[in-house]
Amino acid sequence: MMLRQAAKKALGLTSRQSTPWSVGISRLYHENVIDHYDNPRNVGSFDKNDPTVGTGLVGAPACGDVMKLQIKVDEKTGQITDARFKTFGCGSAIASSSVATEWVKGKAMEEVLTIKNTQIAKHLSLPPVKLHCSMLAEDAIKAAVKDYKEKRVKTNGAAAAGETTQA
Amino acid sequence: MNKATKLVVSISTLFRQTRSSTFRCNPIPTIAIINSQTHLRRRESLEPNGLRFAGRVFCSESGVKRSFFKCWNCGFSSEKVAFLFCDSCRSIQPVDDSVDYFQIFGLEKKYEIDDGILEGKYKDWQKKLHPDLVHNKSKKERDYAAEQSAKVTEACRTLTKRLSRAMYIMKLNGINVNEEDTITDPALLMEIMELREAIAEANDSNELNQIRSQVQEKLKQWSDSFVKAFESQRFDEAVKCIQRMTYYERACEEIVKKL
Repeated sequence: MMLRQAAKKALGLTSRQSTPWSVGISRLYHENVIDHYDNPRNVGSFDKNDPTVGTGLVGAPACGDVMKLQIKVDEKTGQITDARFKTFGCGSAIASSSVATEWVKGKAMEEVLTIKNTQIAKHLSLPPVKLHCSMLAEDAIKAAVKDYKEKRVKTNGAAAAGETTQA
Repeated sequence: MNKATKLVVSISTLFRQTRSSTFRCNPIPTIAIINSQTHLRRRESLEPNGLRFAGRVFCSESGVKRSFFKCWNCGFSSEKVAFLFCDSCRSIQPVDDSVDYFQIFGLEKKYEIDDGILEGKYKDWQKKLHPDLVHNKSKKERDYAAEQSAKVTEACRTLTKRLSRAMYIMKLNGINVNEEDTITDPALLMEIMELREAIAEANDSNELNQIRSQVQEKLKQWSDSFVKAFESQRFDEAVKCIQRMTYYERACEEIVKKL
């Protein structure tokens, strides 16, 4: 709440007008960041226990941030059909995870593993001091994919064990 | 004169005789001895200005010319590095980075400190250094006083709060806690997630205060764990304690914002 008001005051934005953001005040947030903060996409949760869901839970202890990113995967094609996030942290961390959920949708799992934090940082024009927020988002994507793959191995393993006992 | 003082005097005469930088390498074995003596003496005397050996300064990387203290005003030189004032002419000295926050307040370099001493000493120093109170001194001294006053304030702030004190004491031991690494400990992160969600969903101040007191309990608990880990030199564990404390502090700040 406070960030939204402060940001609006700082930029004099009432509508989504583009402003020369680099007006010498180094604490301004880029309008992309504000956009993600005001209109967060994909906030929420999936059921952790759903076998098509991969959950990535990461934290940045230096600034006390936590980020949860979940992906829903189509089992047959291996494509990510949907994503949700929940982040407690600064505006940059929230925006980074929001961007991450947008970018993973509709992509294959192997493809999203190539998403780099530098791309997210560039998209949001993050200042150097906030680069670790984008790193956190990259790690969250990787953790979500890893979790999904581990779950698949477990369920496949259980199914295989079931088959052998039956046979 | 005891053995330690004898050693110092002989080394400092050596330095005074030959002010060349080649000597920087040689005294290192003797410096090690002096340093261990220094360590012992510091534990015995609680006096803040008690025997600050030149041995400490010998090891500073800024070169031979800082190997002993020399006042800019009266030229008085000694093995003792004055913290704020020259012993001879009482003029204010520039900030010396090798003096750490614990030394400023005359405290031992450990985590448990007496808050009363901290506050008392802080007021004492500010009486001498505060920019408003040094009008009658030269410009140079007023500038030094301003720098020193800022350092003392920073020192007090760092040492007052448990978390910053813990991080500082780790830094003094060469362990930098604030590295930007991501962690994936599921148990810890789940707990913090749930905590932050509870704070976000809490609607009245009663609920928030309840959560806050729980978090403060946890803070105290982990602060105690930190002390144990640190004193037994289990630095990895100490870092984990500090990480947890950071998360709880952040949660407390959120609660305060909401209240």
